Formats: sequence, structure tokens, C-alpha cells
Amino acid sequence: MLSSRFVISLAVLAAVCMSMSPAQQDTVYMSVLNSRKHRLNALDNPTVGLFVSTDAGVSWHHKGWTGYIRTFYTESGSDGVIWSGCGNGVLRSSDGGISWRITTGREVTEVLKVKVHPVQPSIVYAATAYGVFRTTDGGETWSKRNTGFFKPFVSDIVIDRSNPQRLFAACEDGVYRSADSGGRWRKVGLDGKGVRMIVQHPSVSQILFAGTEDDGVFMTVDGGSSWKAANEGLTHLTVYTIVCDPSNPERIYLGTHGGGVYRSLNGGLHWQQINNGLTNLVVHSLAVLPSNPSIVVAGTLNGGLFRSTNGGDQWIFNSQEEAQIWGLSVK
Amino acid sequence: MDLQQPGRSADLGTFGEMNIRTNIRLLFVLFIVAVPIDVRAEESALLRANFEARRQRLIEVVSRERDRSFNTVTAKLITGYDRTWALAMLDSLTRDESIGGMFYSYSAIGAYLKLHDQLPDSLRQKIRTAFRTRTMYRGDTENHWVMYYTGLYLASQTWPGEDRSQWFNGKSSAENFREAEGWLNHWMDLTATIGQGEFDSPTYFITFITPMLTLYDFAKAPAMKKKAQMMVDLLFVDYAAEHLAGNYCGGHSRDYPEDITNPLSAPAALWAWLYFGQPETELWQENRYRPRNRGGWETIFGATSSYRLPEIIYRIATDRSSPYVHTESKRVRNVIRFGREMNPAVYKYTYMTSSYALGSLQGGILQPIQQHTWDVTFASDKANNTIFTLHPFYSGKELAMFFPEEQKFLSDEVDRYHLVYTNPNKWNSSSPYEQAFQYKNAIIVLYALDDRAEHQHIDGFFPKNLDSREVDSSGWIFCRAGAVYVAMYPLKPYEWIEETINWRWRSKERINGVVVEVGSKEEDGSFEKFKSRFVGRQPMAGTSAGHSVRYTTRGGDRMVFTFNGTRALNGKAVSFASYQLFNSRFVQSERGSGVVRMMYGKSVRELNFKTTTVREWQQ
Repeated sequence: MLSSRFVISLAVLAAVCMSMSPAQQDTVYMSVLNSRKHRLNALDNPTVGLFVSTDAGVSWHHKGWTGYIRTFYTESGSDGVIWSGCGNGVLRSSDGGISWRITTGREVTEVLKVKVHPVQPSIVYAATAYGVFRTTDGGETWSKRNTGFFKPFVSDIVIDRSNPQRLFAACEDGVYRSADSGGRWRKVGLDGKGVRMIVQHPSVSQILFAGTEDDGVFMTVDGGSSWKAANEGLTHLTVYTIVCDPSNPERIYLGTHGGGVYRSLNGGLHWQQINNGLTNLVVHSLAVLPSNPSIVVAGTLNGGLFRSTNGGDQWIFNSQEEAQIWGLSVK
Repeated sequence: MDLQQPGRSADLGTFGEMNIRTNIRLLFVLFIVAVPIDVRAEESALLRANFEARRQRLIEVVSRERDRSFNTVTAKLITGYDRTWALAMLDSLTRDESIGGMFYSYSAIGAYLKLHDQLPDSLRQKIRTAFRTRTMYRGDTENHWVMYYTGLYLASQTWPGEDRSQWFNGKSSAENFREAEGWLNHWMDLTATIGQGEFDSPTYFITFITPMLTLYDFAKAPAMKKKAQMMVDLLFVDYAAEHLAGNYCGGHSRDYPEDITNPLSAPAALWAWLYFGQPETELWQENRYRPRNRGGWETIFGATSSYRLPEIIYRIATDRSSPYVHTESKRVRNVIRFGREMNPAVYKYTYMTSSYALGSLQGGILQPIQQHTWDVTFASDKANNTIFTLHPFYSGKELAMFFPEEQKFLSDEVDRYHLVYTNPNKWNSSSPYEQAFQYKNAIIVLYALDDRAEHQHIDGFFPKNLDSREVDSSGWIFCRAGAVYVAMYPLKPYEWIEETINWRWRSKERINGVVVEVGSKEEDGSFEKFKSRFVGRQPMAGTSAGHSVRYTTRGGDRMVFTFNGTRALNGKAVSFASYQLFNSRFVQSERGSGVVRMMYGKSVRELNFKTTTVREWQQ
């Protein structure tokens, strides 16, 4: 088995090569679940839902429905279609967010994540409180993919970009893996632990990180077959989000409940809190901008969005006062 | 077509050959039978007339209100009173983007359909546009989905054949109709077989009954119209069997503290006034029941509906001539994590008399946030006519069983809406540390708190306006509310805390419990006599087999109850497995059968959700 040190060194090399590619335009999708100013069926009802930024997170424009439908997460595919996971189901927009359609029916609800196939964008997976659903026809039809789950509460799903038939699911009782696009799932680690999210390393597909409810961060370097804790320096063990710097895979950020943002400069071997300027320490979402990785945005629960232009050394409040920034993603 | 049937002709011939003596006998029998029939017919006519009067009265009252709601607008336009204001308000409601979602969905289309001919075309168009442009949140609870899909069903029925671009959700009329029809059928079947999730809520009752009434009034498909009618029947008979003088008695899935401590302020009471004629007082006129009963006037949905309550349900709601036990099974709302079973069963036990009701759920976490596990409710013209205890529990994990958001975030979030979720003094709560065992008018409620409980006490609500509240040297607390008597024996030391409307009984002992018996002047004679029946009747608490209590009721029934253990009555274990969907002399339904049978006297009304049929007959 390859040592994690060696694997990470390879990753750094790969990332350096990647960073030499031409500059790209980042589109950042921010899913605002709710706001302190919002009350269901009330007058004080500011806009929530999807906001999009095309200027590195400086300004944001609302897209889609203005009211509350519990927008958890939004992601765009390679064909430009935008997908949102919401309380109302999975929403799809093929015109940049001007018009939307709920693609799912009554059987799909509480959609916590949507993940688009990296090569075939008509294939999309929805991670929901009732398990995994998949469409292969751009949302016209959906099918349940839950065989093998003990309890199908799935809060996140990862499509292995090196082998898109291989999936990972974050569940309440561990990490599950499927080799056949969700046809059958098998628990591969963290048995009994509430897994909140999983992320794949940007350059080495065999490396994945998992954030848990009470046990911090776990890492695998063999594609999920074995996992070990990576909590050195981490004193807040509820981990909601992990993102890797695509230009420097040794640099990893994570968001915690109560501990704000932590950063590792050595591939997750050690973590250090970086909360200068961050006035809300419940961080549920993070994004690093590929075109300028020193820009990091952090979404808090009830504290709005913060932005850093120096890799997290200093945070400045950006927008969405008192809002719950549940999800962030970058295209 | 034969106008005269041969068989009948033969019968008439036989009748013609009877001798005079036989004829006299027959006339006598007919006279005996005919008089009650006439009386019953007169009574029925009177009941109908009384309902019509209350219905008209309500429409008249609401038409004078200026609430910002579709209800007020509907009443005004039906009566013609304040028409200009009503149209302006309706216009405002169609323009206000800040309101949407499921509440808007069904009430907007309901108002549209009720008032269609009275609305200018511009307003009709605005309501149509709302279903194209407005955010319609489906919600995250059972009542939300009922409202959302009722609205979607009726809207897509009203504007059929339109393409995806014409609807807020990007689905065509046909797609929306199919989806709504599918979910509504699913919910109706589920409710008629394993019970409601948000069951028996004195507040949320309105969020089920009003969509179903609207669906009944306007569904064009005969099958859906019929099922909606059956659902209205079911919701009403579910209420009726536990109704006492306007109070929705027994355990509740969810309710607000104001309504739990003052039952006639709950919205369901106004529905009892309208359909059951009880209480006789017009609740909105009474300060002691304000302000909640002046809320949204949702009863206007009933007052303007073509639905008429079957008389048998009225009789079930109002005949308390003899006591009875009524049991039900319901279901826990969807458990999405931390549990193996999606909808565990809830078991309800309610003892109804003419002057009080004692009712309970089995305890534990059956619904998040607003559960009301047990109480005694007494018929009274005073407010706060109830006594109960609870453990004020809260937990992010409890909420995370039912909601998908993060468990460390949920408690705070729920507090935003319900305001009291984490409050140690709250009057609504489920708790894993509370369990109940009831038999007729006696109940044992046990508590077993551990270190994980955030609040390390249990509370009891005793209204200040009781006629008597005495602490006896034997340990019994005796209360009198008019002709109703309550005896409560706390197992552990406690204190009394005086509050505005009540005395708060509080005990900080973790292994704890109360034994309660309820009586009345009718059952026990005087209050003194009632009290005397508890001399030497102390419960025996034991810990050898866990937290356990033995108690022999004043009626001689031996109850043994162990926390997380067995419930035994007169030496025989009580099993919830035998609980039906409904089981009492008034309502019967085998769990899973989809057949609900209402009975009163010789009358039977049967709702068969498997065949979508209603049958009535005389036994």
C-alpha cells in the first residue's frame, strides 16, 4: 500500500502541473438555506435560495425562486445545467438560473446534495434523507439506489472522477461505497460514526477525506478500503465541510461546529484554527476558487458569508447577514 | 320497467286479508314505532337547522373582521359586506411575494373556486399567475404536504392542459395533477390504515380539515371527491370520539403551550362549536379564550362548504351518557435516522365521561417538539381546565430523527419558530424519560431521567382556578374542579411554584413518577367521599425490577408498571400489539384494514377506503 506521504507528494506534483493551465473563470454557487430574518409565511421574508457570483465572490446575484424551499446545495455540470438539492426535490435550470423545473416527484424530498457526473452531465445523483436517487436522462426520470444501506439517510455523495461508476456515500452509520453506480452499496469504513460529508482529493483519486458528527476527520489513501483519523490539532470534532486547494493539495480547509475554520498545510496531518475576522464559528460550507486559490469563501450557519483573499489568514464579512449558508460549490 | 313488482303485490294481498284484530295490533305497533321516528326526524331537522344557524352566524361574524386572510375575504364576498375592501385585500394577497408556500397554495385556489363568479377577471388572472410565478414550498411536515398537494391538485384541475412554462415548478398541468393525486391517495390510504402522523392536534386539525373540505367541494373526479368526503368524516369522527364540551381530549401529537394549558383556546374548539354545537359559548367573544381563537378564521372553510356532518358523528361527539374507553393507534412521523423503523406505532388510550376525560399516549418520543403525552381535561366554563405532568425534554438528536439538518444546529433553529423548545418551563414535550400506563380513570406516569437530560426536573400543571387543591398528609394531592375530582400521588418530593394562571408542581428527583385517579360527583358522590377512598391506598414503588410501581385503584384493579418494562393489569400483561386503529363503542377499525366503522345506537356508517365506498345501515 502506498504511504500517505508518498501519495501526497505525487499529488503536489500533479497539482503544480494543473496550476500551469490557463486561468479560468470561476462561478461560485451559494445555497442559502434560511435566514434569521426569514419566517415561513411571514412578512419579514428576505430572499433565500441560490446566489451566484462570477467575480470571485465579491458580489452575488440571486437566481431562481425567491422564497423558502430549503435549498441545501447547488452544483453545475459540464454542460452548464445547474442542479439544486432542495426540500421540494431536485431543481434543474438549463438557462443559467432564469427558469427552473422540479425534476423529481413526490417520492424525492429533503435533498441534501446533488452531484453531477463529471463526463456525462445527464447523469446526476441526489443524496437525500431517504437515500440515493439517480437520473440518467437529465432529470426526466429518477430511480432509487438504496440496496445495501442499513438506514438510507445519505448526507453526501462523491462520484469518483477516475472511475465514475464508483461512488461513496456519507451515511449516519459510516461510509458506503458502490462499484456499480449505486446498484449496490457496501459499508467500507467508519462503522457507527455519523458521517456528514466526503470529499475526494483534487489530484489523487484514491485519497478521500470524511467529516464526521463527533469524531473529526478521517482519511483514506486506498480508495476507501481503510480509514484513519486525521485529527492532530483539531479540537472541534464536528466537521461539516472539507475543501482542498486545487493548486496545492497539501493545503486543506475544514469547517466545524463551534471551531470555525481549520487549515492544514501538510495534507491533513496537522490542523490549525484560522478564524481571524470570522465572527460566527459554525462553518457549514467552504470553497476555494481554482482561478485564484488564495480566495476562500466560508459559509456559516446564521452568520452569513465570509471571504478571505489570503488563504484564510484573515476573514471579512461578505454578505447574507444572519443567513445559513448551507452549501458552496465552484464551477 | 315494472312499476308494480309481483312480490310486492302478493305481500299487499296478504295484508288485505288480515282480520280486524290483526290490523289493530299492527296499528298499535306502528304507532309505537312511528312516534320515535317522528321525534328523531324532528331532532335531526333541528340539528340541521342549528348547524345552519351557526354556519350563517360565523360567516356573518367573519365578514365583519378585517384580518388579512383569504378567510375574511371569502366571508365578505359571500355576504356582500365590505366588498370593496375584500377585493382590495385579495388583490394585495395576490401581489405580496412574501407569502407563498403551502398555506397560500390551498387557500388561494380555495378562495378562487369559492368566489370565482364574484371576482373580476383581473383578480382571477392574478391568482392564476401566482401559480406560475410564486414560490410554493412543499414543506417538511405532514400537514404541509396535505395543503401543498391539495392546492396543486385543484389548481392543475382548474387550469388543465397547460405546458411546463405555465407552472411555478416547471411541470405541466397533467404532471402536477398526477403527482398531487398520487400523493393525496397515498396519504389517505396511509391515514386510514396505520393512522395519521400529526394526529389529534387541537391546533393542526385545521390544516388537515380545511384542505380536505376544499378538496371535497371542488374535486371533479368522483373518486377523489368521495375520498375527500371520507377523509373529512374520518378526521371528524377521530375528533368526535375524544370530544368533550369543545375540548379535544387525550394525548396529542403536537400542540402549543397556550392551547395545552387552555384547551378551549385551541383552534379545534371553534370547529367543535360549528359542527358539534359545543361549547355553546361563542369562543371568539370570550376574553379567556382569546386571542388564538380569533386567529385566521379557518372555520370559514367549513361554514362555506357543501359538506354536511353525518348525524352519527354529531351523536358520537355529544353523547356522554355513559363512560367509555376509546383506544387508537397512530404513527410516528417519518423517522429518517437513528431508528430502524420509519413509522413506529403510537398507542392512545382515552377514558371519556360526561364531565372529564383522562387520556394518554404510551410515552417516549412519538413526535418531536410539541407532544402532549397525557392529561385530564374537565368540562368547565372556566379556562385552563386541565391537569397534567411532563418532562421538558429537548435534544438536537431528537430533532435530527425527523429533520435532515445538522443535529447540533436544530435545537436553536426550532426555537426560532416554536420559541419554547429549549425552555425548562415549557408545557409541551416528548421525552424518552417519560412513560405512561393507563386503565380507565387511573394512570401511572413514570420518569427515569439520566445525566443526558438537559432539564433535570419534571413539572405539573395545576390551574389556579381549581375549586380546591389540597395536599393530604398521606401524600395524595386532591383537586376539585366543579364536579370533577383528581387525586395525584407523587412518588418523590416536590415543590409548588406560583405562576400567573397556575401552580407549577415541580420535582427534581430523577427516578420519579405520579399515580393519578380521576373521579366525579356522579361516580364518587361528594369530594369528601372521593378523598376517603384513598385512605391507605398508597402506591408501592420498587426498584428491584427496575423503576416500578404497584398500585390498586379505588375500583380494585391492580396495576403494575415498570419503566421500560411490562404493564400488567390484574396480573395480566397488557400488550399494545392488540391495539386497533380505533376501538371503542363508537368507532371500530382493524389496523391495516382501511375500513372504519362508526356506530351509534343501531346506526352504522362504514368508510371503506379500499373500495372508496360509504355504507350506512341499521343494526
